[in-house]
Amino acid sequence: MSMTQPQKATTGELNKLSEDEIALYDRQIRLWGMAAQANMRSAKVLLVNLGSLGTEITKNIVLSGIGHLTILDSHIVTEEDLGSQFFLSKDDVGKSRLDAVGSKIKDLNPKVTLEFDNGVVECKNKEYFSQFDLIIGTELNKTRSTELNKITRSLKTPLYLAASNGLFSYIFVDLIQFDAVDEKIQSMKPTTIGKVSSNREIIDVQTYKAEDDEKIVHEKITTRNYYKSFEDMLQTATLEGKLNKRQLKKVSSLLPLTFTSLVSDIPIETLSQEKLQELVIQVCEKLGLATSNISNEYVEQFQRQTNTEFAPVSAIIGGALSQDVINILGKKQAPLNNFIIFDGITLEMRIFEL
Amino acid sequence: MPRETNIVKIVGQESYDKLRSTKCLLVGAGGIGSELLKDLILMEFGEIHIVDLDTIDLSNLNRQFLFRQRDIKQPKSTTAVKAVQHFSNSKLVPYQGNIMDTNEFPLHWFHQFDIIFNALDNLSARRYVNKMSQFLQTPLLESGTSGFDGYIQPIIPGKTECFDCTKKETPKTFPVCTIRSTPSQPIHCIVWAKNFLFNQIFSAESTSNEEEEDGTKEWGTDDVEEIKRIKQETNELHELQKIITFGDKSRIPEIVEKLFIHDIEKLLLIENLWKTRTKPTPLTKTQLDASMNESKKDLHLNNNSVWNINEQLSMFLSITGKLMERMKKEHTIEFDKDDQDTLEFVATAANIRSHIFDIPLQSVFDIKQIAGNIIPAIATTNAIIAGLSALVSLRVLNLLKYAPVKTPLDLNMAMTAKASNLSQDRYISNPTLARPNCECAVCTKVTRGVVIVSDPTITLKEFIAELRSKYGFSEDISLLDLSEQRLLVDYDFDDMVDRSLDDVNLKNGSLLFFCDEEENDAGMCRKPLELYLELRNEISGQNIPKIILPELDITWIKPSSAEPEENEAERETSKEKVGGNDGAVIILDDDEAQPSTGTKRSISELDNGFESDNKKAKVAGQFDDNAIIELD
Repeated sequence: MSMTQPQKATTGELNKLSEDEIALYDRQIRLWGMAAQANMRSAKVLLVNLGSLGTEITKNIVLSGIGHLTILDSHIVTEEDLGSQFFLSKDDVGKSRLDAVGSKIKDLNPKVTLEFDNGVVECKNKEYFSQFDLIIGTELNKTRSTELNKITRSLKTPLYLAASNGLFSYIFVDLIQFDAVDEKIQSMKPTTIGKVSSNREIIDVQTYKAEDDEKIVHEKITTRNYYKSFEDMLQTATLEGKLNKRQLKKVSSLLPLTFTSLVSDIPIETLSQEKLQELVIQVCEKLGLATSNISNEYVEQFQRQTNTEFAPVSAIIGGALSQDVINILGKKQAPLNNFIIFDGITLEMRIFEL
Repeated sequence: MPRETNIVKIVGQESYDKLRSTKCLLVGAGGIGSELLKDLILMEFGEIHIVDLDTIDLSNLNRQFLFRQRDIKQPKSTTAVKAVQHFSNSKLVPYQGNIMDTNEFPLHWFHQFDIIFNALDNLSARRYVNKMSQFLQTPLLESGTSGFDGYIQPIIPGKTECFDCTKKETPKTFPVCTIRSTPSQPIHCIVWAKNFLFNQIFSAESTSNEEEEDGTKEWGTDDVEEIKRIKQETNELHELQKIITFGDKSRIPEIVEKLFIHDIEKLLLIENLWKTRTKPTPLTKTQLDASMNESKKDLHLNNNSVWNINEQLSMFLSITGKLMERMKKEHTIEFDKDDQDTLEFVATAANIRSHIFDIPLQSVFDIKQIAGNIIPAIATTNAIIAGLSALVSLRVLNLLKYAPVKTPLDLNMAMTAKASNLSQDRYISNPTLARPNCECAVCTKVTRGVVIVSDPTITLKEFIAELRSKYGFSEDISLLDLSEQRLLVDYDFDDMVDRSLDDVNLKNGSLLFFCDEEENDAGMCRKPLELYLELRNEISGQNIPKIILPELDITWIKPSSAEPEENEAERETSKEKVGGNDGAVIILDDDEAQPSTGTKRSISELDNGFESDNKKAKVAGQFDDNAIIELD
């Protein structure tokens, strides 16, 4: 599915929601409308890995009434999982994750078609991934992420990647190219066509008058979002020219740390602190950040908490990622673009265009 | 590795042990509450008490992930606890009750908690819990969501601003004349149909005393003729109520004729009204007759399209008949957005009126939102906000040793910035916390304490004498009961001083306001006291003092700033009205009735988040079910 093409007809009889669905989804239809809800119902989504983050994403998109969700996961439940995944109970330790929680997911919303796949992600071919309108990968390492992204790019399928390291977490988005339509009241300065940031460009502005008030002018703005592949982003990302000096100073150590964990060929939890510091400094230089941005406390905690799942962080990242999935499937609100970092200490969550 | 491996890695063993012995209160088991309960359990809080008044409804299931179809009508608190049992390692205590019920939840009950999480949907309960947290100095984590928007605010009593330090956005208001004579928007007709028409003819309580004898009502018009007509119209409605209660269905067309023909014709006679407005067009007898012969299509199943005027009329006739039947058994019917009959009555009546005034008609689905004050709600925003609230609690309790909180002002708020269109490069913005507002009637302008009374037969006079001797207040004082909004004693009202606390109906949980009315030579007086009354009948005995007063620091203030009672009174009044009244409407005069056109999704891209109180208040003000309230 090419994301620049409009989705299937939004008001055809086939797409009409039943009264049942309208009653169940009442509180969200009032937010995004019937058409968006109907669009969501026709979408097929793949989620790779059902950890803490995967569980949160599953909960959100199943509740919201996505049409079809496939979950691919080959893990066995460990005791440690019990501390971060709410579908699991003690008796599940030793079972496959999907066997343990499948029925609970079904019970969440019987209207959603679910498929559970105990297979291994690296054994799946392009044809397998081509069944889906959108793919979400969680807790994947750099190699898996890069390979999955290569496939989604070749299929022109939108991809979301996310992982967390204790209190710290990120989301990567690749919608390849996506046109978002926004409507707002015209301000003193009318919106003009042209680039608005490194990854976004306004390609069309239509104006119209409000139905009930002739004096108010509305604008319908189409913004084209450009995306990079995961690999490309890791290699070429820089903040130079995107942020001013003051803004650059305020960038948290988390950005270079997260990047370091993604570009390093050796898992960072096995590195000495000195070696890690050294790598972080290199990344800072590439990103155009001063090394004064690095806090030792953060380096230490980031390393200590690497690959640790924490429920409230999963809830926040899972919530943000799911909402963006819902938005692009329902064609509402501008999508994320393209790298988001969350800091669970300061509760800061920045969106970087890299 | 054991289940706590991850959390220990994040907070350390020592803080983990503290978490295991932390007792928290979660107020609300709805959208944010379900999510918070899950997060707090997975963070391994030792003990969690969950209070919720509500039962589960179908429309909750799109986000309250602990509930299923089979749980509909079950209490939220106990159902939630059952649903989390399989992954919980915490002690869980559910209560189905109103957090503001002082018998079930007296102040000393709140005292057992180390931290309180608010996951509420209404202003009155939020304010109440805020006050309790101020009494006990217990940290409170306040939160709210509305559609894509959400916020959290840590409140550290005495150190950071409290929930009431910023003014919350006031509810929408409409002048009487707009509702009754000159509607121009669909909502005016909906308010008319729901708050005026429906109440007048189906509610047993709405008999004759509705219109005030005196001129206190804010009409929003000086037109004598118009006011006279409005009053007359109200009286005539009682006639309609008689038709309804009498139960003779053949008289239903008379109702239509009165409301939509005769009343409109009378309105047209007041020429002043139509100098600058388009005149309404009354229905015609022919239209009415035609609609009575309209074949009965099943419109019930089509709530999402807009019916034409004949369909509206035909539905109005049949639904009125249905409600008439129900009146025989029920005697009084309240409007309830989930009661399809009442909703359809209001929707069709509003639409017929809209048709007459040339206002666009609306679907039942859309009218339900306005009449029921429905706030859109989604799983994702709730998950994000609950996650933020859970995370910040670690710092409020100072459990992150590597990120110590030196002063509570190091903490910050968090709100959805990207989704709320406030920023393009921040998903969440983090406004700093302010110090308590020195004008805040809740946290700074009073000294709080708990009075324990073991003998409620003591008189107000004795009670006041005790207060005066303990705190040294002057002769000239006043004593108010804030819970009931009444004056108990002041310089020219001493009728009750010889009556006992019992006798004047002071109860466990009554909030008393004690205030110095006399200035000293330097023009200062003592800061007023706000006292929580705790009655402990069970401990009465020979050697126990009748009254135990708290040790308080009595400070002096300039009296000019010592008038919180008025402010408080206002708040408490609206609280009372809002509390039991899910979806009434304020009717005020024209000047005050500027509709809050606050464009929620203003595209203000702010580089550094937004710190102004205004914005905070605005964002924080829109998270209530009670968006519209009525004062009359």
